[in-house]
Amino acid sequence: MSLPNDVELTRPQYVGATVTRREDPRLLSGEGNYVADIKRHGMLHIAFRRSDQAHALIHKIDIGEVLSLPGVIGVYTGKDIAEIAKPYKATSRMKNYQATYIPPLAIDKVRYVGEAVVAVVAESRYIAEDALGLIEVEYRPLPVLVDPEKALEPEAPKLHEQLGSNVLAEREFARGEVAEVFVNAPVTVGGRFHFTRTTPVTLETRAAVAEYDKGAKSLTLHSTTQIPGIVRDKLSEIFDLPGPRVRVIAPDVGGGFGGKTSLYSEEIVASAISRALGKPIKWVSDRMEDLMTTGHAFDEVVYADIAVTKDGEIVGLKADVIGDVGAYSIYPWTATIEPVQVVSFMPGPYRIENYAARVRAVATNKTLTGAYRGVGRPISVFVMDRLLDMAARKIGMDPAEIRRRNLVNDDEFPYKAASGLVWDKSAFQSCLREARDKIGYEELRREQNLARAEGRWVGVGIASYAELTGVGSRIAVAPGMPINTGTETCNVAIDSTGAVTASFGIASQGQGMETTLAQVVAQELGVKLEDVEIILGDTAAVSHSTGTYASRGAVFGGGAGTLAAQAVREKIIRVAGHLLEAAEEDIEVGDGNVWVKGTDSKMTIRDLARALYSNMGSVPKEMRDEIDNLEATKVYDPFFGTTTAATHMCLVEVDPETYNAKIKKYIVVEDCGKVINPMIANGQAHGGVAQGIGVALMEEVIHDDTGQVLTASLVDYVVPSAVEVPSMDVMHVEAELPGTIGGFRGLGEGGTIGAPACIANAISDALSPLGVEIMELPATPERLFRLIEAAKSL
Amino acid sequence: MKPALFDYIRVTTVDDAIRALGSCNDAKVIAGGQSLVPMLNFRMVDTPLFVDINGIDDLRGITETSNGGLRIGALTRHFELEVSPLIQERYPLLHEAMKYVAHLAIRNRGTIGGSISHADPAAELPALAVLLDAMIVARGPRGERQIAAVDFFEAPLTTSLEADEIVTAVELPPLPENSGWGFEEFAQRHGDFAVVGVAALVGKYGARISVFGAHNTPLRAREAEKAFGSGDTNAAAEALQSEVDPSDDLHGSADYRRHLAGVLCKRALNNAMSGYAL
Amino acid sequence: MKGKIEIRVTVNGEEHHASVEPRLLLADFIRENLDLTGTHVGCEHGICGACTVLMNGDSVRACLTLAVQADGAEVETVESLGDSENLGSLQRAFREHHALQCGFCTPGMLMTATDMLRKYPLETEDEIRVGLSGNICRCTGYQHIVDAISAARDERNKK
Repeated sequence: MSLPNDVELTRPQYVGATVTRREDPRLLSGEGNYVADIKRHGMLHIAFRRSDQAHALIHKIDIGEVLSLPGVIGVYTGKDIAEIAKPYKATSRMKNYQATYIPPLAIDKVRYVGEAVVAVVAESRYIAEDALGLIEVEYRPLPVLVDPEKALEPEAPKLHEQLGSNVLAEREFARGEVAEVFVNAPVTVGGRFHFTRTTPVTLETRAAVAEYDKGAKSLTLHSTTQIPGIVRDKLSEIFDLPGPRVRVIAPDVGGGFGGKTSLYSEEIVASAISRALGKPIKWVSDRMEDLMTTGHAFDEVVYADIAVTKDGEIVGLKADVIGDVGAYSIYPWTATIEPVQVVSFMPGPYRIENYAARVRAVATNKTLTGAYRGVGRPISVFVMDRLLDMAARKIGMDPAEIRRRNLVNDDEFPYKAASGLVWDKSAFQSCLREARDKIGYEELRREQNLARAEGRWVGVGIASYAELTGVGSRIAVAPGMPINTGTETCNVAIDSTGAVTASFGIASQGQGMETTLAQVVAQELGVKLEDVEIILGDTAAVSHSTGTYASRGAVFGGGAGTLAAQAVREKIIRVAGHLLEAAEEDIEVGDGNVWVKGTDSKMTIRDLARALYSNMGSVPKEMRDEIDNLEATKVYDPFFGTTTAATHMCLVEVDPETYNAKIKKYIVVEDCGKVINPMIANGQAHGGVAQGIGVALMEEVIHDDTGQVLTASLVDYVVPSAVEVPSMDVMHVEAELPGTIGGFRGLGEGGTIGAPACIANAISDALSPLGVEIMELPATPERLFRLIEAAKSL
Repeated sequence: MKPALFDYIRVTTVDDAIRALGSCNDAKVIAGGQSLVPMLNFRMVDTPLFVDINGIDDLRGITETSNGGLRIGALTRHFELEVSPLIQERYPLLHEAMKYVAHLAIRNRGTIGGSISHADPAAELPALAVLLDAMIVARGPRGERQIAAVDFFEAPLTTSLEADEIVTAVELPPLPENSGWGFEEFAQRHGDFAVVGVAALVGKYGARISVFGAHNTPLRAREAEKAFGSGDTNAAAEALQSEVDPSDDLHGSADYRRHLAGVLCKRALNNAMSGYAL
Repeated sequence: MKGKIEIRVTVNGEEHHASVEPRLLLADFIRENLDLTGTHVGCEHGICGACTVLMNGDSVRACLTLAVQADGAEVETVESLGDSENLGSLQRAFREHHALQCGFCTPGMLMTATDMLRKYPLETEDEIRVGLSGNICRCTGYQHIVDAISAARDERNKK
């Protein structure tokens, strides 16, 4: 058969195309496979008796008649689990860091409300919960620490007796002459900012099914985790099992957002009990457990000041960050993950030469904080961009203009930020410019003035930010942590049936990676999109992986997938050269075929695979010995990673009577490099902004003075519905592509990073006639009521 | 979050329901279950027996009464209220209010009798019952009685219903002729329980005002009605603010609720007045 | 006593007989007894909407309904809309508009949308958003879901 002459032109370009997702048919029809859907013969269920005390000694655990309740199989305490599972902690080489052991079930002492104390194993979750009610736990209360500013005092009671203090980590940054510039600065503004505690609220709560095979002495854990590789490695240590006998699989996972990037006690307890009983053990978190125990987010107090010239040029920045990290230092990220990022990213995309900052991560009697979409940066952007607006107001400059004057210019890259981070070239200025144009900034200001004249409170918000994504081995995601977050692996294999499989260690929680990675691999390999099988989230697939977090999936997965696909393509060309009797440089691969350029000599890759693997004699032994197979495993290390930048703008109207803030317009202009699938990229931005809106306006985990969680239901922990989230415009600026393979930048977290600051600025702008500045989020109607009443009474 | 064990009996007549309730201490009625089942799942209630009244056909339907009002069977679902042409024609504010009641799936199951018996001080229907001078019809072993809505709600989740009585219907007298109406509710997230809501009627008789979410029961605001006189919305709002006794919770402080009561009162009255003027 | 109760429930056209504890939630009956795991459990207190199914044609929260209350009823779950080989029109609209990411809220969204499309004109975007407000999605920011339902509405209006 002959090929059309323009075959090379028609070779599909999958990268950059809007392709409907291959995940969708199963997820739309109820055929997905989430952890909670797993059933096994003889499977038992566990439920946890959790602490109702924030800080107390466990005096006595009385299980009473629990074991005689029909259907109850066993009861385990912290000491029982400690006999099966070794203790673990999140270590780090960072100076001034103190690790804490994390007992899977509390031993002797509880440190937060919701901490698991006893596990009950039963034939159903209903019976397990019945049993929980029959257990008596006697506590001896200890002083409760809920305020991090008090907990960091040297005389404060200690959460962990063996540690020197409750300050689990402390770090300082300094560049330039900060003290001096503040003395001489023409204009300074600053204050105390408070970014309250939130929680990820994935629609799918966390869950685990552990199956210990006594014969094989192996453990298989299906978990809702984002980090199957990290969980596998640690379980191997905790249970003293070699890696091949611990397999962690993340099947369909219902959202992650960072909340599923930590090793959780329940994964260990389920595994330990499965090992003890030789039965499959299932645990599915209920929503109350989820709200109380899944790693909480943010929770920082920041004292910050900025110094500017009368022309709006930033001359100095200082910040003192106090992070409330909860009861333990979370594994593997440590207590530094959130607060240290706040100071690292505080200078943002702006040119700041003089910067001094201190950060302290303080243990309190609350749920552990961990990674949540944006990690630290929503706070740093909130503080920095609020400061810029406050400064602009003071010197009478437009907020867009003060940003234009301070954003790093195109000719200044690579730019070393004051905290030491290096920004590679990214569209800082053009994101701002395009956002202005797209939203019609001047017109918006005119509308705002007209609205003000009518007594309406309308405000325009802007936030610009930069983040490092796809961070390679040059920088650990959390400082000093002994885990390699800088590489990812992909194996591409064409088997003896001719089918293509691309296997990754990273996992998908809804980002559509089965689709986007298939786009990348199919294009690089030269096969049809539908002919690439994608395997994700299975530790049996590759030898090392840490998972999906920190906006790294596209950069690492796309990069490793590209390298592996290219290597296999080389092998295909070698074999094809022989089979088609042509020089390798004349061989072209595309659409599942190989052919000799300019001729009608062609074969399918399927036939080529059969020839290599099965038709002995068609490929000479020397060639088979040389290429082995049509398979390649490649590791990608983007080393520095790359910068993703964006500008968000919004229009907010505050009801002057109810004080409800309504977002009327929202726009995101971002530079995420080469867009693999625009439809999916837009969806990521929409979802990120929606979570940022929650953080800005309604979401807050609230503890009372005794450490009780008052927001333990979705009635009281309020996440936005379709009514509170506006339609938004998202625009991608594909400026100069970065040096990552494929030119990809990460984009998963951006929406949540920009939105809180943008909305806080808009509300402050709306309320500027009253002199109200938003220093604390969420800006609930209640908070605005108090601020406005106070301003009116002045 | 799974319910504890309980017994369950399904009945098809009111008499059977009353007998079943009498057969066991602390037995409770289950109808739509939209407020009750969450409490079961949280194991916040410990009830030995549930009497399911969903099968009592006599409790369904909306019928006209001889005085020109409506009798709404206790099992009438919120969605039926929402789409009933009779309701829309005779009590347009009740029709309007249904848009604020939770969400379609909840309205498909939730019943008027359930909402009234549950007596959440932030719910719409109890407040409207109070505004509209509704009579709550209840039956128990001692027979049927009618309780004026203003006397029915005693405290949060507490009514004057006896343990062995069930609500069988809500009777609404006709709206006073030529009444304007207003209904205002504020919640930060659509469909959530109101932080505060105000319903109002205005006619030649002056104003009727009821408020929810700002007091320990739905409140018929007599002082605010008096202050309104023949049209002083500001005075009514001010009076309402001193009449209500809100409490603090996570969704709003007492001060904010009091503030909102005034704001929403003015808005509701203004809407009602513009309707009346027409 | 706390005995079990015999129930007969028709789910997606198939009649099922079972003996269940009165406390068994309809969501668990569907998932555990019938192995129809498309109905998801997200909160068990009626806020998230992931477990929404149709009962006698009306959308209901399967976590706020006891299985015994479905005795004699016709229940439809997401599996009734079409399978992965043959998606129904609403499912196709969701796919084309990228109205799902992790897919966990999706079955509830689809069943809610099915009921909304039957009961309301859904003339405006606001009306669609209000209709969706009892179903929480944490991934999409709702915009693409609104787009998918707008498309389904247009399709419906053509008929």
